[in-house]
Amino acid sequence: MNSSPFLSLRGVVKSFGNFTALDRIDLDIKEGEFFTIVGPSGSGKSTLIRLLVGMDDLTSGEIRLRDQRIDDTPANKRPTCMVFQSLALFPHMTVGQNIEFPLKLRKEVPDRRRARALELLDLLRLPQSYYDKRISQCSGGERQRVALARALAFDPEILFFDEPLSALDYRLRKTLEKELKDLHARTGKTFVYITHSLEEAMVMSDRIAIMKRGKIEQISVADEIYGAPVSRFVAEFMGEVNLFDVTVAADGSVSSDVLSSRSGVKLVPAGEEARGLLMVRPEYVGFADTADAFDFTMSGPLHGEYALGSRIQYEIETPAGMVTVEKLREDRRTVSEGETMTVGFNVENTHFIDEAS
Amino acid sequence: MKASRLTRNVLFVYGILMIAFLYLPLVSVGFASVSQARYLSFPIRRYSTKWYGEAFESSTVSELLLTSLSVAVVVTIVSLVFAFFGALAFARYQWRFRNVFQKLILLPIFFPQTVLGLALLMWFNSLGIIPTWKTAVVAHLVWITPIATLIVAIRAYSFDPALEEAARDMGAGTLTVLREITLPLLMPGLVSAGLFAFLLSWGNFPLSLFTTGADSTLPEWLYAKMVSGYSPLVPTLGIMSVVGSFLLILFAFALVWLMRANKEARTAQD
Repeated sequence: MNSSPFLSLRGVVKSFGNFTALDRIDLDIKEGEFFTIVGPSGSGKSTLIRLLVGMDDLTSGEIRLRDQRIDDTPANKRPTCMVFQSLALFPHMTVGQNIEFPLKLRKEVPDRRRARALELLDLLRLPQSYYDKRISQCSGGERQRVALARALAFDPEILFFDEPLSALDYRLRKTLEKELKDLHARTGKTFVYITHSLEEAMVMSDRIAIMKRGKIEQISVADEIYGAPVSRFVAEFMGEVNLFDVTVAADGSVSSDVLSSRSGVKLVPAGEEARGLLMVRPEYVGFADTADAFDFTMSGPLHGEYALGSRIQYEIETPAGMVTVEKLREDRRTVSEGETMTVGFNVENTHFIDEAS
Repeated sequence: MKASRLTRNVLFVYGILMIAFLYLPLVSVGFASVSQARYLSFPIRRYSTKWYGEAFESSTVSELLLTSLSVAVVVTIVSLVFAFFGALAFARYQWRFRNVFQKLILLPIFFPQTVLGLALLMWFNSLGIIPTWKTAVVAHLVWITPIATLIVAIRAYSFDPALEEAARDMGAGTLTVLREITLPLLMPGLVSAGLFAFLLSWGNFPLSLFTTGADSTLPEWLYAKMVSGYSPLVPTLGIMSVVGSFLLILFAFALVWLMRANKEARTAQD
């Protein structure tokens, strides 16, 4: 792996008339990395990937690949390839012809094209007999694999993915997520993946970038984005979360209008006073059986109980707002709606989001 | 839901009646063409194929067929070229005047053909162009190109733009994308548009009447002979024209079938 950035974006802007779809994006992606860009629809992630593959022109800024500017290079001259959301498999060609398409463009001889296509069918765990099948005879998951094989036949420097799994059902999606991760490991290629699904991002990626309204909010590994988000947006985007308005004093002690804490509870001192949000994920909130079981405690009537399969979610209406608690099914409590419950969490499971920064 | 026995029987009889209503007149033309008598009267007393023999030998007939065929072939080719690019502009690309274009292109279909023919004739006259079968080609194109464009556009609408982008992304230039992706995917639309263009031109009367000048197409001649100088050559040529159209449709089907078979054969050996 190289230490200098492999793919780097500097001050990338894309506007459509008065609307700024991408606002000064800076981004470095390492060689061989599985990098995922996550964001809600309209966050600009699809616009970004279209710029990266060369299907749209940027308004300003630059994109470099191995220190060579590529933003002026048209899509058909860039050493990158994309797997489309619709997969874009050519319906008038067979599976084999689809996979061989990029090789045919490079004027490879038919024998070598065929050999490579069969090799790729093996790699993607499709039977070689699929070579002569029509695209319409393939299932959703098989089409996914054909699209991947075709992109790999191109042998790109970077493989881009534009939400290719979003149309599949849950089980198949889970299987393919793992296969993609495995394929990434086996091919050693750089994968840049776009999705609106946080779960997909967390399962597969080395690093994740979260986008919001044309800007990147946070770039980090999955654990850090989940456990230490930089903003309310990231915290809420990354799943269920409890957030409380607090002020943290210079020595780390927490004061809040809504939250009562055990005396002497301190966050890691920030050095100066800061206002912000104290975050705790629902799985770290527990039922307080004794008064001093947790650093922070609150109580209120049970508002609702939801079964989420392996986990159970409780919503409790406390003076600090609605608090969400998540427990494994085996730790389920028998409670009825409206019953008063006391819950709490410990300071080491919290994260402070400084809203000034 | 399965229709009851009664419903099915009623529908069957209704269908037969409809088909009889539509095609019996054609059958009567067929009978007229094989009658030996000079004037049509039923029942036919003596059957004969003499008029077909005369048709094949007549130099007028071969001239008529040649004119009609020339017009139809040129119209088909030119309208297909226009329709291909027009359909892409109509259905695939976002551009500033697309909305206006989509409406304007339909306009000629809404004009009565006689009005359109008259207008074109006056236009040719004012430009000092002497009408021949070539001006008829222009007239037919004005009316047929929109139809061909619409037929190809329907196909173009069901076309995922990502297919072209994907081909481009894998290194294909503009011409390669056109040849490898756009053209093959629009081909079924182009075949049916070509068929329509040919048949509409082949059978067109009002536009030809105004714009062929001294030349005459088959429908024009049929009409002229009906008005004065009827002979059983009229129904004979009518039937020949219908059979010709029918053969063309068969030919088109055969072509599509051959293309498919050829592709499969190529795939198998590739």
